[in-house]
Amino acid sequence: MEITFAVLLWAVRISFLVILYLFLIRAFGALQGSLAVESATAARPTGIAHLVVQRSVRGAPRVGERLPLRAVNAIGRDAGNDVVVNDEAASAKHALLEFADGEWWIEDTGSTNGTMVNGEIVRSRERVQYGDEVAIGRVALRLEQ
Amino acid sequence: MVRTQALQLRRGRFTELSLLFWVAALAITGFLAVVAAETSAFGVSAIVVPVVFLALMASLHLFLVARRFRGDQILMPMAAGLTAIGLVLVQRLASDLLVQQLSWTVIAAGAFAATILIPRDLTALARFKWTWALLGLLLLIAPLLPVIGREINGARIWVKVGPGSIEPWEAVKLLLVVFFAAYLEEYREVLAQTQRRIGPFAVPPVPYLIPIVAMWLIAMLVMVFEKDLGATLLFFGIFLAMLYLATGELFYVLIGMVLLFAGGLLAYSVFPHVQTRVDIWLRPFADDLRFGTSYQLVQGLYALGNGGLFGAGLGNGMPERIPVVWSDFVFDAFAEETGLAGAIALLATYLLFVYRGMLIAVRAPTPFLQLLAGGLSFIVALQTLVIVGGNARLIPLTGITLPFVAYGGSSLVTNWMLVALLMRVSEVSSRMRGSP
Repeated sequence: MEITFAVLLWAVRISFLVILYLFLIRAFGALQGSLAVESATAARPTGIAHLVVQRSVRGAPRVGERLPLRAVNAIGRDAGNDVVVNDEAASAKHALLEFADGEWWIEDTGSTNGTMVNGEIVRSRERVQYGDEVAIGRVALRLEQ
Repeated sequence: MVRTQALQLRRGRFTELSLLFWVAALAITGFLAVVAAETSAFGVSAIVVPVVFLALMASLHLFLVARRFRGDQILMPMAAGLTAIGLVLVQRLASDLLVQQLSWTVIAAGAFAATILIPRDLTALARFKWTWALLGLLLLIAPLLPVIGREINGARIWVKVGPGSIEPWEAVKLLLVVFFAAYLEEYREVLAQTQRRIGPFAVPPVPYLIPIVAMWLIAMLVMVFEKDLGATLLFFGIFLAMLYLATGELFYVLIGMVLLFAGGLLAYSVFPHVQTRVDIWLRPFADDLRFGTSYQLVQGLYALGNGGLFGAGLGNGMPERIPVVWSDFVFDAFAEETGLAGAIALLATYLLFVYRGMLIAVRAPTPFLQLLAGGLSFIVALQTLVIVGGNARLIPLTGITLPFVAYGGSSLVTNWMLVALLMRVSEVSSRMRGSP
């Protein structure tokens, strides 16, 4: 009886180590897996269109980066926006870019410094065409397909 | 097909769930081994604590699922695994503290959930950076105040709260990283802007060196008045690392190292407690130290040696020979009972944690979030390095906790908040990328 207890105890001790290693391997596998998924979604054009960064301050977003767009996109400084523009000249909730009736529309959502399309300030809701440049603060973004 | 499956898996947080099953297996076998070795029977009590712990982790998982949280799924199970090892070791080394540690774990889980919820917008943290700096400084000097301050084991880093005491330094770590991230996001261009060069090093204009010198002065003051070498090292290390992350200038690291080294030499020549630490490190087996000040380290080294390749078996070693083993020397105790194999697995877990954290930093959309994630990951890396290095006599021993594993409430709570912050940074980037 004593011997079986000792054997069991050693079995538990060894399985602790084995489980620790299996856990590590699983965690590493999960990390690799999530990396693969992240790069797959990054490589695949996820959005229905893109904003390509033309001009930026402080490297966020980076110049040349393609930001995928959905049907409705909030643009602004808060991290909660779909397109985060990291510039003090941008407001927390700066503008709204949406796809409706087969066209892209931009609307300023009460920003302090205004939103520009091709250098002209957006008064109400205005149409944006592919190739147009949208300026939010000191960051310029071009709408592309 | 494979891709959509993978995407669905991400949506349901199944990766997290499956990893938590491994954590459950780990906690239960660990407790069984430790309790059975103590009582020579597989008792029911061996199941109660891990079940409470696992219920807690399961509820955190359900909380994240219910919130439709889209961030990282690996960090939480890894923190849970490390916390489970910590609880097993508390049961093994200081079972009378187990209930206390378990209740701290409950508080830590609460702090984790709260950090996931508040603040609603992570970048809002950056706007109050001077508040964090001020709060951090206040907490840093709080232990020095006469009524609430407390000195335990020679270090004056504790504040009395109700019946127990907390280490405000632990919270200062997080506040500092948030402050540095916000400060460096704003000033990194001027800091990186260089007019002159000396050899390969770019020398910044003199006024921009002021913050470095100020931080160094504060770190030195902490060392002098609170007698806490570990906190000094960590404080200054975080600052230098984040400065380097933000500017990419090696000059800052170099000048910081020189300052730290000079400060260390000065402290060594002036303060006896620093001399003792270095003395213990250099010649622990000397006749006048072996049974005196270096007794703890010597016993720790024997434990490491006793562990061998696969260890004495969990619950089968002699870690109780090391004084205060549950807080300062958990690594040595774990290495004795699980051997080199266990020690490597433990260190690999930290490595994986830091690797994940740094990946989150690289993918973060704004410099503030990048620096935040980078700094937070660096805390875990540096803390592990300093305490494990101290336990293995690679560097002088300092009283820093092994993240998640060592006994200690303040440390556990802040480390879980750290995990929550990292996960939130990863959520912002995954939402911006438009991935599910």
